Amino acid sequence: MPHQLTGAHILCRALLEEGVDLLFGYPGGAIMPFYHALPEYPGLRHVLVRHEQAAAHAADGYARASGRAGVCVATSGPGATNLVTGLATAHMDSVPLVAITGQVPRAMMGRDAFQETDIIGITQPITKHSRLVEDAGEIADAVHEAFAVAQEGRPGPVLIDVPKDVQNQQAAWTGAGARRAGTATASAGSPLTQAALLREAAAMIAAAERPLIMAGHGIVLARAYDELRALAERTGIPVVTTLLGISAFPESHPLHLGMPGMHGEVHVNRAIQQADVIIGIGLRFDDRVTGNLAGFARGAKVIHIELDPTEIGKNVPVTIALVGDAGTMLRGLLAEVRPRECESWRAEIAGQVRPRVESFRGGLTPEGILGAIDEATGGRCTVVSDVGQHQMWVAKLFPYQRPNTHITSGGLGTMGFAVPAAMGVAMARPGEPVWAISGDGGFQMNLQEIATMVQERIPVKMAIFNNGYLGMVRQWQQFFHGRRYSATPIWSPDYVRLAEAYGIAGRRVECAGDVEQAVREALGRPGPALVEFMIEQELNVFPMIPPGASLSEPIEAEPAPLVPT
Amino acid sequence: MTGSHAVTVLLEDRFITFNRAVGLLRRRNFPVRSIAVGPTATPGLSRLTIMVQSDEATAGRAVEHLQKVIGVREAVSFPASDGVARELALVKVRGPGHRYAEFLEVIQLYHVTVVDDAPDAVIVQLSGSESFVLSCLRALEPFEILEIARSGAIALRATNHMGSQP
Ligand SMILES: Cc1ncc(C[n+]2csc(CCOP(=O)(O)OP(=O)(O)O)c2C)c(N)n1
Repeated sequence: MPHQLTGAHILCRALLEEGVDLLFGYPGGAIMPFYHALPEYPGLRHVLVRHEQAAAHAADGYARASGRAGVCVATSGPGATNLVTGLATAHMDSVPLVAITGQVPRAMMGRDAFQETDIIGITQPITKHSRLVEDAGEIADAVHEAFAVAQEGRPGPVLIDVPKDVQNQQAAWTGAGARRAGTATASAGSPLTQAALLREAAAMIAAAERPLIMAGHGIVLARAYDELRALAERTGIPVVTTLLGISAFPESHPLHLGMPGMHGEVHVNRAIQQADVIIGIGLRFDDRVTGNLAGFARGAKVIHIELDPTEIGKNVPVTIALVGDAGTMLRGLLAEVRPRECESWRAEIAGQVRPRVESFRGGLTPEGILGAIDEATGGRCTVVSDVGQHQMWVAKLFPYQRPNTHITSGGLGTMGFAVPAAMGVAMARPGEPVWAISGDGGFQMNLQEIATMVQERIPVKMAIFNNGYLGMVRQWQQFFHGRRYSATPIWSPDYVRLAEAYGIAGRRVECAGDVEQAVREALGRPGPALVEFMIEQELNVFPMIPPGASLSEPIEAEPAPLVPT
Repeated sequence: MTGSHAVTVLLEDRFITFNRAVGLLRRRNFPVRSIAVGPTATPGLSRLTIMVQSDEATAGRAVEHLQKVIGVREAVSFPASDGVARELALVKVRGPGHRYAEFLEVIQLYHVTVVDDAPDAVIVQLSGSESFVLSCLRALEPFEILEIARSGAIALRATNHMGSQP
């Protein structure tokens, strides 16, 4: 017998049916019926953030680390609009997220009621799907649809907007159970043509003289680590990993080359430019990866393995498109590919490896700090980076060995991401050390979340790379704007005293000799801890492909100082 | 080959689904010439016809994007020449006055129907391919066009072209 429940209770029960046990949120008028019901469901742990943007980033971090949709909750109006940056971040990086927002009562909608915003309209371009629930009887279905859409196929964020009176409305609770999404399916090609394409791809790989694998986020999303490794090892083809593909292939593997693109090492970008076949797996050929498209890998035929057909041929012309999940496609390809080696090609690439440009004039180096973190955690930690110069160092200098241990905002490049996202990562991986690594700029965008960590006992370790500048922008100003440091010097509070104010461990490190001990000390504390590293102020990230240039035109060293004329 | 392509979409007849489909065409900068939407024989489903001036690949990309929209059941594209594309126009003209014979001639030539005949202005209805409608409008120009309402094209792929695709 179905019994009657309010929409708020149905919402809670539907979430439980989806296996949800964690919500990041913030209450307010239009979502109060939901918060009123919530204490009756102890299976739903609610983490009260200090800003709704952090709820979205934390849910995002949770989803990236666990592979399951993260959930965030906000009230109507400003609560909902505060989610926007987090939703856009998740959308750009294909992260499964379900956002639940309160809305003004149905009768008041469309009349500019207090705290009314058209959040469905606002978020339409940055969600995979969204739904206004107009009747309590639809809530369970809306929740199940949201999880199905968020997690199926190419993942993404889904928003459910629930008017306050619908949360209070009674409806029958039937325990509807999960449901599948109803999209039109693109014709993925008949099995016959697919088999033919796989054979063709295998033949192309066999005939290639300078083949290269470019692996992206799709490997992580499909958990196709073993398949990627098997393909590389069977063929001897070197592997480059994009920013979001980092950690999908062991950093120490002899076939691993590094990260391509704007801040890719010279030999990695050269390998791309010299390749005759590129096997791109689960990546978008984003402009930060390709540089100027006209000059990108001109001699290469591209085999593109990608789940989303709209990505095929979007930026780079593709010779063979294999539309499907990276794992499935790689298994299909492995069945066709013959063992081979790429000795001379690999030797050629190895001959182009440059020693890292030593722009670190003593003192604290990013390598030193990151190495200490790796060592102190015995290679068992997950690092979550923010956006800027430190993000590139974290991407390039940390020796990732385990899959999905590098988490960052790639497509949107959202400063302020690391601290809240790391909360979600830490909650998805209890017992594992999680480091949020930020610049002094990005840290100040969401540092309020330290309070959340304290209240909820989330043991995130925070590292601040303090260079006194919005470093990445300053670097562009130095290289391309005649060193005019407009609006990039940034003052910081005393982070040690800030930590103290929040009641957590805090320490400032100014010389290389103290790095290791500071890192160990932070790890030794049971709760959140903060370490501020005073790095050199005008450190630059090398190499760098200037915006608009091709991968063949890197800047490899400090530009000559400006001579006043 | 650049030309007129029809993208036809079967979708849930909810405003939000229509909004999503059209919003993505705008966001992705598809060269849309017209959009028409109306009910189908299946309750709850609408048919959306979008005419794009583009090459075949671009029309195909629009289809792939539309297929990702939740609530879209089917999306296909075809060159307008592979199907039938028609639009309806209502035209209000000042009236033939002393040029009545001339006006009658145009009406007969283009199979135009007079749907409202007031002393000050006449509303005529015409339908056909885009080029037909355009030439008809040109023929009506001498009678002083006051207002035009065009529906935008609707299109169906012709059955005999179905099998001829490579
Ligand atoms: C929300 C947001 N605003 C602005 C930017 C532009 N931006 C990119 S990197 C950067 C500087 C980051 O400075 P900081 O956090 O100190 O890190 P650093 O580059 O010094 O490592 C800025 C402002 C951005 N990516 N995100």
